[in-house]
Amino acid sequence: MKIKTLTAPVLLAFMLAACSAQSDKDAAQGAGELLASDWQEITDTAKGQEVNMYMWGGNDNINRYLDEWVAPRLKELHDIELTRVPVSDAQDFISQLLDEKSAGKTAGSMDIIWINGENFKAAKDNGLLFGDFAGQLPNFNEYIDQDAPEISHDFGEPVEGLEAPWGKAQFVLVRDENKVENPPGSMDELAEWVHENPGQFTYPALPDFTGSAFIRHVLYETTGGYEQYEQPAAEIDDLESRLEPMWDYLNDIEPYLWREGETYPESLSKLDQLYASGEVAMTMSYDPALAASEVLQGRFPESTRTFLLDAGTLANTHFLSIPFNSSDKAGAMVAINEMLSPEAQTAKLSPENWGDLSALDLEKLSPEQQQAMNEVDLGGATLPLEELESNRLPELSSDYIEIIEKGWMENVAKE
Amino acid sequence: MKQVFSPLKIILSLLLFLFIGIPFIALLLSSVATGWQWPVLFPESYSFRAWEYVLFGSSRTWQSIGTSLLIAVIVTVINVLLAVPAANALVRFQFKGKWFAEAILFAPIIIPPFVAVMGIHLTFLRLGLTETILGVVLAHLSPTLPYMVRAVMISYNTLSVDWENQARMLGAGPFLRFYYVVLPHLLPGIAAGASLSILISLSQYLITFIIGSGQVVTLPILLFPFISGGDPAVASAYSLLFAGMAILALLAMDAVLKKYYQTKNPSVLKVKGVKR
Repeated sequence: MKIKTLTAPVLLAFMLAACSAQSDKDAAQGAGELLASDWQEITDTAKGQEVNMYMWGGNDNINRYLDEWVAPRLKELHDIELTRVPVSDAQDFISQLLDEKSAGKTAGSMDIIWINGENFKAAKDNGLLFGDFAGQLPNFNEYIDQDAPEISHDFGEPVEGLEAPWGKAQFVLVRDENKVENPPGSMDELAEWVHENPGQFTYPALPDFTGSAFIRHVLYETTGGYEQYEQPAAEIDDLESRLEPMWDYLNDIEPYLWREGETYPESLSKLDQLYASGEVAMTMSYDPALAASEVLQGRFPESTRTFLLDAGTLANTHFLSIPFNSSDKAGAMVAINEMLSPEAQTAKLSPENWGDLSALDLEKLSPEQQQAMNEVDLGGATLPLEELESNRLPELSSDYIEIIEKGWMENVAKE
Repeated sequence: MKQVFSPLKIILSLLLFLFIGIPFIALLLSSVATGWQWPVLFPESYSFRAWEYVLFGSSRTWQSIGTSLLIAVIVTVINVLLAVPAANALVRFQFKGKWFAEAILFAPIIIPPFVAVMGIHLTFLRLGLTETILGVVLAHLSPTLPYMVRAVMISYNTLSVDWENQARMLGAGPFLRFYYVVLPHLLPGIAAGASLSILISLSQYLITFIIGSGQVVTLPILLFPFISGGDPAVASAYSLLFAGMAILALLAMDAVLKKYYQTKNPSVLKVKGVKR
């Protein structure tokens, strides 16, 4: 009796598995062709397809840009139906794809995913991505500087065409002009300023994403540049002693931080709160346009300005990719290509829509396109695009980030 | 009945109002506030950006409320159909391994749903049940069924077999016995279980997201990214909408039950009349 009840579902599972194995072959054939065929054929195949885009859905501006700007345009120009699927963490759909891979599901519902950093590495290592599709996109070939380190690498991981850059973020420091007249241009100058103005500066406790990025700037400046960290962390034998100057720097400024460094704000939003209420004179952000929008909303004072370090600040890129089992790969490619067009990128840059930095190389655009992009009003607190673009540093790969976050706990927070 | 307004009663109802009312006031304010700084008690300026996005934008809110309610209702109906015979067996029969059956039935209350849902996801993927409402309904049964069984078991505990035996002697078949003797007695338990089942099903995020793979969009699927992403205005607006949906669902169930009792009573009287 018990055995009977078990066999029924098992049989059913086998039957379904057999059915899906059949469609498996068809999909594989189609996919290979897509990576080789010419763009005209791809756009023809894409017509009438329904494309599901899985992405973090926690910002109404971003959601609206997709729903009200990108989706109607795709429908009109390419007859593609774009549906945005909101997700609260990119990790969620990566683990879902892992399950789908191990269950052998070939006709998946995810056609475009929005990822970078650790999630890209996880997806790449587990073979969850479609393939080297970026080189097929006309806008990728025409407008994007493919040799730039922030395009060819994603947090130290070679991209290899598995994802196409959608936008960029860059680290900026935020100051209140009335309290910090001359912004410090280096970590040494910052230390000097902190000594002279005790209690006016702090950074979010690690592992906060932005606090961790701040520490990486300290690392680059106190240990002699980013070039040495391009190899995997395991290959540097004396890593611990190399990190020593960074801990010394952080311990040196600690007594002069907010609340004498006895405690750190637990997150960036707490630090922003301190800045908004005037307790500290500086905050920081990995989004160069965010301070401007906080000023617009009345949360930050009018005298808020952003600034960079002379040696440059960390920049990262966020990417669009196609999962291995997407059912509408041609539609996904056409949609991604459209999102990389100068028009879509200019609209994305506008703070009314989103305020996200363009992934395109300004110099590759036509004069009219450049002008359109430069005319976007980024708000008084945001730096000009050229200044941001010429001061970029590449991100560190995630194995270093882990080591640094652990080290901070032992060397700075505990002492 | 004489109404007594003792000071204790007034204080208690005031406290009750404070506990239930104040969070809602805060939610309402934060859904329309812009630039609400710490020392200020009330926001300085207001905007309806969040409500406009939630109600009229392209946010698919209404569709998702429909999906949420549909799933909750189907889940609850299945729960009733499963829980009544299960409770009957667990309360009235002694059999080997009963403690084990009970342990399995109540395990989902103790074991975090995340553990179970990962395994369910793999199985459902092989069966082709992911991305369907049916799959989500089946997955919602695991966190809701224990409460339903528990509630119906309590009703069964107070129902003596003598009542059914008496009905049997009067010539009632199994269906009539169940319909006229057992069901009216179970109804309060079923109502309690159904309320829990509806509320728990409505508030599922993780299970719905994993099994529905983003293709079954309920209200929590839209709401959670805003809570974790830190847009308090939109998150508050969605939360209020969610509370409204849950309260309406419970009121509707209450209304249906009341109607059932009203139609029930005359029939009882009629039976008495025939006897006489």
